[in-house]
Amino acid sequence: MSASQFEAFLAKVYVDESARAKFLADARGEAIKAGLTAQEVEAVERIDRVGLDLLAKSLERKRRRRFVKRSD
Amino acid sequence: MMGSRALKDRIGLGWRPALAAGILSNLDKIDIVEVIADDFFNAAHRERRALRTLAAQTPIALHGVSLGLASSVAVDPKRLDHMARLCAEIAPVSWSEHLAFVRGGGVEIGHLAAPPRTTATIDGALANLANATTIVGVAPQVENVATLIDPPGSDRNEATWVSEIIRGSNCDLLLDLHNLYANALNFNFDPIDFITSIPAERIAAIHLAGGKWIGKHGAQRLLDDHLHDVPDSVYDLLAEVGARTRRPLTVILERDGDFPFIGCLLDQLDRARQALSRGRARQINESREAAAA
Repeated sequence: MSASQFEAFLAKVYVDESARAKFLADARGEAIKAGLTAQEVEAVERIDRVGLDLLAKSLERKRRRRFVKRSD
Repeated sequence: MMGSRALKDRIGLGWRPALAAGILSNLDKIDIVEVIADDFFNAAHRERRALRTLAAQTPIALHGVSLGLASSVAVDPKRLDHMARLCAEIAPVSWSEHLAFVRGGGVEIGHLAAPPRTTATIDGALANLANATTIVGVAPQVENVATLIDPPGSDRNEATWVSEIIRGSNCDLLLDLHNLYANALNFNFDPIDFITSIPAERIAAIHLAGGKWIGKHGAQRLLDDHLHDVPDSVYDLLAEVGARTRRPLTVILERDGDFPFIGCLLDQLDRARQALSRGRARQINESREAAAA
């Protein structure tokens, strides 16, 4: 798998709530299904879960703020 | 063509529409204004004209937020064309972007995400920086980003990763000291070690900001939200940078909301001036002591 595909995997896990839920339930399985290399699978299995949760919430807050701003 | 570089430190403020009146009425106290370039890529003619008017009154630095330079994916040339046209029109003192990835596989993250710190993202960043320099005509300054998550898949620390990009490119560093401070607290490293291990003479600009703690007790992280005043420790880091580099620095205070009175922001610019002067004085004293030894 290329580095760009790894970035795409991370982008989806950061932004997509459903993809993130599946990932948190079975990080290894989802990583293998996405075709990540053994090294990348190992890396996402060890993911910083506290950071992932806070990042996802922060992104969601940003999106909501942008939506409210556009709706003004 | 970029404007000529003054041979002195410049302390300024990020342009935000809510701060416009305060900035325009205090231009004698603000050496430079940093403008978010992306806000003007598709702006109406009158908004571009207003920006040109501002640029005629004060030095401008343009700051990009959506190129995604630190990615193994090539930056869309259309985005670089937008930046090139704006730089040509405004003639800023400098332009800058983040060492971040902001999209992947068609997904827009909507945020400056820290990429895995690997050889692949260094190579990608170097290719993107070379392309950006060719299209815009001037190399960007590149900024370290704050991250709430330890970037998965990284095989080196942030200082090493940033240094490899700086040394491999012709780009100078826009060192965001609150991003550094937040990452240091969140991931348990010493920000002074970071400052001492990066090439000091490549630091051209500084960002200052504030943030807040988020998360549950025992699992908190410092969020760089630009909604709070600059903490004392960040001024101390500015003094440290001032002591370690001889080149003139551009220092920008970033504030994105919960705006205080302009006087409060001007006070923070004064504190930045004082911190930088403190660092410069320390450098002179240390040079004298070394010469006398």
